[in-house]
Amino acid sequence: MIKRSILACCALAIGIQMVSADVEVGKPAPNFSLQDTHGKRVNLADFKGKFVVLEWYQPDCPFVGKQYKSGNMQKLQKQYTAKGVAWLSIDSSAPGEEGNYPSEELNQISAKDGAGRTALLLDPDGKVGRLYGAKTTPDMYIIDPKGVVIYQGAIDSKRSTDLADVNSATNFVRIALDEAESGRPVTTTTTRPYGCSVKYAGND
Amino acid sequence: MNRLFVLRFRIWMVLAWLAIQQNGHAQTHNGTQLVKASLVSDVSSVRAGSVFRIGVRYQIEPGWHIYWKNPGDAGISTKITWRLPEGFTAGNLQWPAPMIEKEPGELQVFSYSNEVLLFAEVHAPEKLPAGPLNFGANSNWLVCERICVPGKADMSLELPSGNGESSLTASLFESFEKKVPFRLPKEIHLSYSRVGKDLQIHFPAQLAGSQFLPLPPEDVVIGHVVSHPGYFSVPIESEQKPMLGLDGILISGTGTGQQAYEIAAASVESTGQSLDAGPINWSGFSQALFFALIGGLILNVMPCVLPVISLKVFGFVKDSGRQNAFRLSLAFASGIMVCFAVLAVLVILIRAAGVQVGWGFQFQDSRFVLFIACLVFAFALNMFGVYEISVSPRSTGKLASLAKGRGVGGAFFQGVFATVLATPCTAPFLGTASAFAFAQPSWITFTIFIFIGLGMSLPYLLLALNPAWVRFLPKPGSWMLYLKQGMGFLLLATLLWLVWVLGQMKGVNSVVLLGALLLVIAILAWIKGSFWTPISSSRSRIAAVVAMLAVLGFSAAIYSFLTKPTQLAWRPFSEERLDLALASGHPVFIDFTADWCITCKTNERFAIDTAEVRQAFEKNGVVILKADWTNGDPAITDLLKQHGRAGVPMYLVYPGGGGQDPVLLPELITSQTVLDALNRSRQSLAEIKS
Repeated sequence: MIKRSILACCALAIGIQMVSADVEVGKPAPNFSLQDTHGKRVNLADFKGKFVVLEWYQPDCPFVGKQYKSGNMQKLQKQYTAKGVAWLSIDSSAPGEEGNYPSEELNQISAKDGAGRTALLLDPDGKVGRLYGAKTTPDMYIIDPKGVVIYQGAIDSKRSTDLADVNSATNFVRIALDEAESGRPVTTTTTRPYGCSVKYAGND
Repeated sequence: MNRLFVLRFRIWMVLAWLAIQQNGHAQTHNGTQLVKASLVSDVSSVRAGSVFRIGVRYQIEPGWHIYWKNPGDAGISTKITWRLPEGFTAGNLQWPAPMIEKEPGELQVFSYSNEVLLFAEVHAPEKLPAGPLNFGANSNWLVCERICVPGKADMSLELPSGNGESSLTASLFESFEKKVPFRLPKEIHLSYSRVGKDLQIHFPAQLAGSQFLPLPPEDVVIGHVVSHPGYFSVPIESEQKPMLGLDGILISGTGTGQQAYEIAAASVESTGQSLDAGPINWSGFSQALFFALIGGLILNVMPCVLPVISLKVFGFVKDSGRQNAFRLSLAFASGIMVCFAVLAVLVILIRAAGVQVGWGFQFQDSRFVLFIACLVFAFALNMFGVYEISVSPRSTGKLASLAKGRGVGGAFFQGVFATVLATPCTAPFLGTASAFAFAQPSWITFTIFIFIGLGMSLPYLLLALNPAWVRFLPKPGSWMLYLKQGMGFLLLATLLWLVWVLGQMKGVNSVVLLGALLLVIAILAWIKGSFWTPISSSRSRIAAVVAMLAVLGFSAAIYSFLTKPTQLAWRPFSEERLDLALASGHPVFIDFTADWCITCKTNERFAIDTAEVRQAFEKNGVVILKADWTNGDPAITDLLKQHGRAGVPMYLVYPGGGGQDPVLLPELITSQTVLDALNRSRQSLAEIKS
């Protein structure tokens, strides 16, 4: 009988543990390992000690297009990788979905755009996307040198596809990186991302 | 010089505007116009001083959608800017209730498909300007299927002054006006409370089954709304974010009976506690302890505990006798207390781990509800006498001490059980106390939980203090048998409620699963009761064990066959998706199937979803589509006919690279059939290429 009561309490504990925890600001960023477009394995843990930017990317999305056609994203990438920030773009498009390209094609697009990222990672089964709860492209995460998430959300404040909005918008990623690098706390830590949905494979 | 510059600038502006115009109206994708936007009015002429409506009508290509004012996880809201003649003013934009659309990756968007009218009331001035009146609208939108395309349009509409007769499009306004959320009737009361990270929105029973679509402020990030019986919970970005209310719309009913209501946080009362971790508020603390005590006491008479109470009262009656009753009531009380202590420690641990937990959380997990439902059913069967929990006659030597132990252990367990079952009934009363507990340091949380347990066990503690009161207990008799059976029905009623909870949470499939589980339990209980009794022979017992194992094995096999999740990345079939995949050069495998087709399921399970086929699909970059004929989709019927089939299953393999006819597989297939077809199509592709 006592055994059964213990069992009931265990079931209770299991019930509680089912409540899932997403990636959240102030918590450690879960590690992942993905292949980049040059066939190299990239682990998040490799960048411990550095600031890491995760950028959910999908070249055909008009919201991503706004950042790249205006040259804004490349500028950010170059500016911060020069300061030692690791900038990882992640393409979570499933095979057959928009934005799922072979590596060579993605490399061509990157070359054409003049991208300045550290690596472009392939996540065709959407595991890492789902792990981080990435919803849109772009969807941005900043991880500090200790491996803690310090920003998650939109790239900037103007929720549009209009190229002209890039310059007048408040760029949350730039502000957060500048604040964190100078040792200040990040003022805006969580915003609502905007863009196309990440093109995950259907589960049906 | 300056004038020339202005002139050139103007020409440039006109060209740019034309370019935008062109762009706006010619928003096409593979030759189809995705959204046709037009400016319409419900009047064909404008009367001075009148109120009429203008709106933008969006006609959307099937399968595509545009977005509500809160687009949800992705996308962007549709925007309209009006241009009105002088003296005219426009009211707020009216948004019909959108649909909730789920996308892969647990994404959820609020959108419109097929057709929608976004409109506003316009007030005409008392004196109309001379000549025709020009109205204009500029709209931006994002239209998505699996891919997204931004669009815009600049529209104009010319109306004469007149008597304000209805226009041809007036009926369009009427039909979409019905879908615009109404103000919530005064007699319906909602309330908010904040539990840790979650904001809870409590609603009365007449709104059961409705959906809540949030309209959060710009600077707040929220998660998906989760429906519970009696309330919605919305995770707010962090526990520290002060948020005690949330605007949104409530949609109740479906189809033509659907009704949307507007929820304005400002007009709803909030019982939420502020979550500031300030100095401890002692009067608040003692008040919370008092509420906890009273709340715990009330738990004893809550409808979802009452049957269990009857059960334990019955237990006491059965084992009457002063000493026993004293011991049993203490054991029962300690069962409750221990359970609340364990619960408190768990809550504290979970809190420390940073996971969101709300009161009633056990029942948020469908597996837990399933577990409790099975337990209740098994108890009911016991009450009906289908089987008895008996002690093997071989241990009669220790029977005396064992019987005592069993009784106390039983009472202890009943205390635990009653506590677990009580949780969902606490919503309004314990809400305040537990919200308080969740926002406090660990030791306060612990104290509050102990007080709830103390309250619940108070009657039994009194019984322990004065065992003489046991004599008020009724005398045992044959009525006990009927009482026992009657209680079985009470337990079944509790089960009914659990089924409802589960159905609300997980839908009809889970209810059927529960039904199947209960059937298995009933069979097991019957076997136990018939063939494994204290008087059964050992042969009969062995047979019982074998039969039980067989039933378990058989049902497990059926379960795993029916529910094994596919490891393949199936996507629903559409001609467009097929064209897209073929155009990009991918080979395509199409599975024409239906839920009721056993052959299809068998093929999928044993021929398609196998390691070697999965590997081959992956290696060749095969796009796999599922054409679901469960509801007799006519497009799929046509395709079946085209290939000379009257029904499912049917399998097509397109070699990829474009242009070739698909390979048709037989109705009964093996993994080898699929692999061969893939190889053949690859070879034929290689030949074409060379």
